[in-house]
Amino acid sequence: MSEEEKVTPEPIAKPTFKWMGLTNQWDVRVEPNEHGLRLGDLNVGIYGEVPEYWEDQTRRPRGSVGRPGIPPLSYSLRYKHDVWADCAADLYEEAIQRQWIPATDVPWNTLETLPEEIEKAVCQVCTELSQYANSEIEIISHWQDEMSYGFHEVKQYLATVFFDCARHVEALRKRALSNGGGLGIESKGVANRMILQSSGGWTESVAYLYLVRGTYVFHLIKGLHNSAHNEAERFIYKQMLQDHARHLTYGYDHLKYAVTHKDGQTQIMETLLAVGEGIMARELDTSLIRPAMAIIFGEGLEGAKTKGMDSYLALVKDFVADYVEICGWLGIEKTGRLNPALQQYLDL
Amino acid sequence: MSEAVELPKEHELDVSWLDNMGEWGIKAEPSNRGMTLADIQLSSYGELPEVSENQTGRPRGATARPEAYRVGDYGVNKVSEIWLDNAEFLYEEALQRQWSSATDVPWETIEPLPDDVEEAECLLCTFFTEVEFVAGDVPARWIGKTSADFLEPRNVLIAQVMDEARHMDVFRKRALANGGGLMRMSGSTSGFVGSIDLSRDFTEMSTRLHISGEGAVLTMFRMGELFGQNEAEKTMYRLCAQDEARHVAFGVMHLRYLGAAAPERREEIEVYLDEAEGQILAGQQNPASQASETSEALAVLLGGGQQHYDEGYKQLLAIRKRQLKEYMKRVESAGFGERFTNGRSPLPKQYASVA
Repeated sequence: MSEEEKVTPEPIAKPTFKWMGLTNQWDVRVEPNEHGLRLGDLNVGIYGEVPEYWEDQTRRPRGSVGRPGIPPLSYSLRYKHDVWADCAADLYEEAIQRQWIPATDVPWNTLETLPEEIEKAVCQVCTELSQYANSEIEIISHWQDEMSYGFHEVKQYLATVFFDCARHVEALRKRALSNGGGLGIESKGVANRMILQSSGGWTESVAYLYLVRGTYVFHLIKGLHNSAHNEAERFIYKQMLQDHARHLTYGYDHLKYAVTHKDGQTQIMETLLAVGEGIMARELDTSLIRPAMAIIFGEGLEGAKTKGMDSYLALVKDFVADYVEICGWLGIEKTGRLNPALQQYLDL
Repeated sequence: MSEAVELPKEHELDVSWLDNMGEWGIKAEPSNRGMTLADIQLSSYGELPEVSENQTGRPRGATARPEAYRVGDYGVNKVSEIWLDNAEFLYEEALQRQWSSATDVPWETIEPLPDDVEEAECLLCTFFTEVEFVAGDVPARWIGKTSADFLEPRNVLIAQVMDEARHMDVFRKRALANGGGLMRMSGSTSGFVGSIDLSRDFTEMSTRLHISGEGAVLTMFRMGELFGQNEAEKTMYRLCAQDEARHVAFGVMHLRYLGAAAPERREEIEVYLDEAEGQILAGQQNPASQASETSEALAVLLGGGQQHYDEGYKQLLAIRKRQLKEYMKRVESAGFGERFTNGRSPLPKQYASVA
């Protein structure tokens, strides 16, 4: 280094300590319990005050001291009723405790060669279910970034859903590519489009993602679990079911919160669901999940035409019945108002 | 109530699709690490398009359906824009190394600290609670914009969002667990021009987030053994460092791939690095930077109290030096190290000036 390039060593900066004492609430001492130190345990004093409307458009952690002059970020979901569910913090911790690893937790060595039409049916279901999970990832990816920091429990919970769905995409792809088969035909995307085009707010997306399609997906996975061909499949479907049940818990709870805390939300939901029911009925008609599930339930092509399709239709009937019941719990009466294309399944 | 409809004895079943599956006869076998993503990169399922025209969200290798809706919003559709060679490995590692801030941190080892030390720790935790989810919000936004053909890097980014949620939560837990509380936010994460938030290109975002931003934080977390006051804090920093190292590796490996696959973009990348390097020691996003309040807090923690501030500050300078050194090594590893020898980067000089 030349003489003029010589550098002056950095001096020790004189402290101001202006940050000391700047807190909204001190002397907080949350303690772990038998479940450890959970996110919900932190909601003490002002740190647990979740506002109805979060004014702050910065990333200020709830309860911390703000700083004037910080330019706003574009958070559009700022009302509690836009995102909230009381169970979010608990579901977040549960999701972390119940994570699983497709690479090493699934007993892949239990896979055995299946008759070709059954293998094709399983692979087709894996293909379309992975697209369902992918659309869940993409819609969460769209909204999570819009959620205010005041509702961090929901943002954090949704991060676990994101991760669950990535694992579902991964596990389903692994199953399709590990037993002499391959992927099937892509979904037409009727329900995926309904979800991805829901732009009126996160609550609208939740209605389509969880109440309309998610309730169906729950029954699908349950049906797959009950007719799994080996321990590997059984394990995958069991874990997916557990994850999906958490997703539905948040979804239903959020919808309940929204309809009970926002004027006019029930009527909006009625309109959205009237549209969604028609779309879901088209999904049921056009998706290749229908014949594929019939083959799985019927244990082959011949059985698919009789007991296989009967079982699938019974599954859809259970879905529609659950859907109607949950709508009733939300205060949305469906008896006599259900889309006829869904009603036909109830009438079977 | 409607009358029950009688089911036909035999249903019609269209099975023409059975003859139209994707490539058939694939039988991936688990390796000694289980059935990893790398193990299923077989035949056409492992073939990446240079430019993805998949706008329907079709899984890579599945048969296209002509009438499928174009539901995707995939602006990131060139492999060079998102790819890295070890994405499968980083994703599988992320799955293996998940941890729980509720039960894996020995919270019972926390003991009351002198007020100045507790305040310093709480300021640092407030900072991390604030900044950690930038690295959640922003990658999340890009996942939905990336073609489903590139599922491996997408999955790594999703794992990162999960990691960041846990970081946001563990620092909040620490701030509220020992008689303290949250303090004043830094405001360093707002959408200033040239910030992580406002990047309109994935690689620009990744350069700022993974290489400079998280790189600086990774060095800090690794030094947690020095400024952690108890086993709970040391564990917390150790676990966060493990996650952060994966995020930084993503950025380095992606930049390396892009530099080789799209050499026409190298000069543009150099500009992002110019901007990032101007901020490493002077900006607010590095908790050890010259301008941040957290630097004072770190000096208090490193020295063991306000009265030992000068001693702590000397250790802080060592951290800064290490941040610069590690940053330069990463940029070199990404294939952009020439900037440190051709006079373009100010960092070698800054490195020399840090005592």
